[in-house]
Amino acid sequence: MAHAPKDNHAPLHLHIPEPKFRPGDVADFSDIIVPEVDANPRPDEHVAPANIHALAYGLVRVLGDDHQPSGSWNPNLDVDTLRVMLRKMLLLRAFDDRMFRAQRQGKTSFYMKSFGEEATSVATTMALHSDDMCFPSYRQQGILITRDYPLVDMMNQIYSNRGDRLKGRQLPIMYSAKEYGFFSISGNLTTQYPQAVGWAMASASRADTRISAVWCGDGSTAEGDFHSALTFAAVYNAPVIFQVVNNQWAISSFSGFAGSERTTFAARAIGYGIAGLRVDGNDALAVYAAMQWAANRARNNGGPTLIEYFTYRGEGHSTSDDPGAYRAAEEYALWPLGDPVTRLKEHLIAIGAWTDAQHESLIIELSVQVKAVQKEAEQNGILGHGLHHPFETMFEDVFEEMPWHLKEQCAQMLEEQKDKFGPEWEAR
Amino acid sequence: MAEPATKKMNMIEAINSALDVMLAKDPEVVIMGEDVGYFGGVFRATAGLQAKHGKTRVFDTPISECGIIGVGVGMAAYGLRPVPEIQFADYIYPGLDQLVSEAARLRYRSANDFTCPMTVRSPFGGGIFGGQTHSQSPESLFTHVCGIKTVIPATPYDAKGLLIAAIEDNDPVVFFEPKRIYNGPFTGYYDRPVEPWSKHAGSDVPEGHYRINLGEAAVVREGEAVTVLTYGTMVHVVKAVVADQGFDAEIIDLRTLLPLDIATIEASVKKTGRCMVVHEATRTSGFGAELAAQVQEPASII
Amino acid sequence: MPKFTFNLPDIGEGIAEAEIVAWHVKVGDMISEDQPLADMMTDKATVEMESPVSGVITKVAGEAGDVIAIGAMLVEIEVAGDVGNQAPAAAEAADADMLAAVVADENPYAPEPVAVAAATPAPAAPVPAQSPAPSAHATEKVMASPAVRQRAKALGVDLTDVKAAGGHIRHADLDAFLNYGASKGYQPAHTKLPRADEAVKVIGMRRRIADNMAASKRHIPHFTYVEEIDVTAIEAMRADLNANRGTKPKVTLLPMLIVAICKTMPQFPMMNARFDDEAGIVTRHGSVHLGMATQTDSGLMVPVIRDAQDRNIWQLAAEITRLAEAARNGSVKSEELSGSTLTITSLGPLGGIATTPVINRPEVAIIGPNKIVERPMFVGDSIEARKLMNLSISCDHRVVDGWDAASYVQALKKLIETPVLLFAD
Repeated sequence: MAHAPKDNHAPLHLHIPEPKFRPGDVADFSDIIVPEVDANPRPDEHVAPANIHALAYGLVRVLGDDHQPSGSWNPNLDVDTLRVMLRKMLLLRAFDDRMFRAQRQGKTSFYMKSFGEEATSVATTMALHSDDMCFPSYRQQGILITRDYPLVDMMNQIYSNRGDRLKGRQLPIMYSAKEYGFFSISGNLTTQYPQAVGWAMASASRADTRISAVWCGDGSTAEGDFHSALTFAAVYNAPVIFQVVNNQWAISSFSGFAGSERTTFAARAIGYGIAGLRVDGNDALAVYAAMQWAANRARNNGGPTLIEYFTYRGEGHSTSDDPGAYRAAEEYALWPLGDPVTRLKEHLIAIGAWTDAQHESLIIELSVQVKAVQKEAEQNGILGHGLHHPFETMFEDVFEEMPWHLKEQCAQMLEEQKDKFGPEWEAR
Repeated sequence: MAEPATKKMNMIEAINSALDVMLAKDPEVVIMGEDVGYFGGVFRATAGLQAKHGKTRVFDTPISECGIIGVGVGMAAYGLRPVPEIQFADYIYPGLDQLVSEAARLRYRSANDFTCPMTVRSPFGGGIFGGQTHSQSPESLFTHVCGIKTVIPATPYDAKGLLIAAIEDNDPVVFFEPKRIYNGPFTGYYDRPVEPWSKHAGSDVPEGHYRINLGEAAVVREGEAVTVLTYGTMVHVVKAVVADQGFDAEIIDLRTLLPLDIATIEASVKKTGRCMVVHEATRTSGFGAELAAQVQEPASII
Repeated sequence: MPKFTFNLPDIGEGIAEAEIVAWHVKVGDMISEDQPLADMMTDKATVEMESPVSGVITKVAGEAGDVIAIGAMLVEIEVAGDVGNQAPAAAEAADADMLAAVVADENPYAPEPVAVAAATPAPAAPVPAQSPAPSAHATEKVMASPAVRQRAKALGVDLTDVKAAGGHIRHADLDAFLNYGASKGYQPAHTKLPRADEAVKVIGMRRRIADNMAASKRHIPHFTYVEEIDVTAIEAMRADLNANRGTKPKVTLLPMLIVAICKTMPQFPMMNARFDDEAGIVTRHGSVHLGMATQTDSGLMVPVIRDAQDRNIWQLAAEITRLAEAARNGSVKSEELSGSTLTITSLGPLGGIATTPVINRPEVAIIGPNKIVERPMFVGDSIEARKLMNLSISCDHRVVDGWDAASYVQALKKLIETPVLLFAD
């Protein structure tokens, strides 16, 4: 029961955040402040975190409205590097498109696109060394694509087929690729945060030169693991780069449910005494520059950095999701920071290193390439149609050596299958 | 080969010795936890180890069990062998997600791409007047999880050999130390003077490296009338009761709960035709239920 | 040529069934890979299913409105094999064969089907699991002698279409069928066929309406209150407004009524609310999002005037016109059909003397103005012609008391009968 009012105070009321726009509304992002390029210039990589608080509230930008780079954050990338960046982002987009369709064609159960956030996995990875360790969340397939992990292996995993390196044990897209510096993706959100810190601490304690980088979304910064990780990283000055891909939406919950109505995600760094940068996540050059700054800082024992990429989830959370049910239509088209692929393309065109015709033909080339790989992957089977790893592998790799009780349970399963499907099964 | 030098040790000293041996033997072993560094642990299990092996091998952590175990998973993924301490098993729960969803599943979900050779040590069990918050026995939460081994020693000798084997194991191990018997075996008679470990055969501990394989139980008393399955502090309570009552029980100290030494259990129950389970954990859905099921399931036993 | 069965996949992690919203193909269509097949609606989303292969549609699962189980056939496609010019590249066709073989393989434990597909020289033996399904007719048992069967077969007559005098079809029955045509059997001359019963499938929007109405009546204990309101003054004011409207849209009584509704709402927050009866929470909304029941060709729709309290009479009039038009011509957006906090339902000149409207769940009230009639009334001692209108309101008695509803309508009545108050703040 509510207490009777005391004194002269108004009764308490509970604030439940609500996004500004819902289906039926026309989104208006005019309240989003987009500062000038170089509004907060690039500090020295060894700067004390206390001296760069403004960077946690600002927005690091390199590309201006005229698609020309400027300012102290400009990474001054050569044209070849820029073209590689664009190609990787377009390949990622082509891959996403193909796999989303594969789900709609019944070839897999689940897929997640990274549409609109391509820069946050491609440009970041390009700014790391190839042997730095990445601890991704579930929307960073761009890391694997940037590091030339075979697309066919990604597809085999998505199809859970007999070529799946993970033997059908993981939800589609939950890759693992140690050889490519890509940690096994967990469905439990932000658990990778303290793990990345542990990896970085191990690297530092072994006088290694490698650093670790970890990604999570805006929504999952609310997990306890996020805060444990930042505490440990600050305590041990671990060479780790924390990245929050703030794409505004955690399935149907807007970023306000992770605290964005009060402060920025980059500003979380301030309380821990580590460096925090807030970056235009759709400006691939700014994303690259921020990651490069943080990587140099970490590699030179400057400690951890928390980077927030301010971006927008252009499509649904996954193939199971329909954003039309909870957010205003056309939000992505109205997003004030544009589309990362388009902005990089316009930049290349503006400097005379690219044309619309080249762009169109690259899109076609990549789509043909991805489709060809898809045919190759489908030779290994698609989800639910026979061509998978043998069922008994379900019991393997729980431990290094299979203990007696799992052997017994496995034998029981095989026995029951024999009873059900007859001697042909046994013969197989 | 000459008999290795042995020394009288209590359980704390045996655990300390195991950690010391492994820190010296394997440069990848690191120890971390709340108060484990300079101070040497609230139960003194890590006393002197930081001074001997250095701060990057033995260090204090923030008070965050989720962080301790999560960082341990990351270190293991790098290639280290972390041996984190959780100060009391009662406080392990914030780290449960990292243990259950991460450490235990890593090898499986990555199909051997990544592994987690981590041993989480933690004092557990009752008997020290600690109230509900320093007395819990959560072992069945871990035996239920695929991918974790659960070990509980009952003597200094076993504690050292099992801990070394756990650290050398390439899978995650939860190593629960019965804190009631850190300094002397408990017979169940709290009104009698505490008997020190030095009077117990299990306190003759080799100073060097030795292993007691995980998954191997010990028959601590042979008998014909009934098989008693037990572990941890209760091993000593059962021994005292059997001695006092004078019945011919065969007492099996399981030592490793998972994987379970079913062969030893099966042989004993076949011989005695009776079986009894004694543990101090919550009875409902406890590990005793699993033991009861295991001895009744195979046609060969009954 | 191999047939490929496209079974409806689980498109939303744990979905059991989905409704066909619209077909993009029909039997006989030549389709290419990635071409849209059908829009399927689950309780999470409506998604467009695409074809994984190229070929000709030989079977579809049903019609719009049908609910298909996950794992059941959605379409069957004859995969292009040796069709010449318009066939896809040979490699792709081979892949399609492989995929068809894989998908046709019902037993997940069966040996690897790639080898099977490669070893089988297709044309002689079409994939056995995919032999054309027998038609529904052929499965019905027909009693007839072998001679009658043979004759019917030669004539191309399906015996299930032939009516028999007894249980057994004889030559005479077949003759009658042939003489009098089609499946009508024997008909005496000059008799008018009775108008046949018509089974209308309740699908799509009609089904939505049916479900919503049933749920409303099932869950909500309705009560309805009707009061007579003198609209002479407000009608005079409306005439004045319209006479001076210039280029503005003509104002009907509806926007004026909406202004009155919004103006009274702060004193009656219990009326502008949504009741989540599972959670046991009534949300009293600060803004009035007014649902406007609108008759369209496909049935009742309720487009929503957002933040009605912030709009003046002219803006309301324009929005009413726009939404009604959009609802009728089908351009209304799905977002414009949800989120109402209170609904108004008016049949205009068909308004009758009283209505008992059904609440648009989870709202808690619905207002129905009835027809305006001119009647002689006492005004003081004299009899005057007055314009009168009954106003009906139905409320959810679980959360709205009769006293509240009556007080609310009386407040509305006062505003409408003294319309100058509408503009007094």
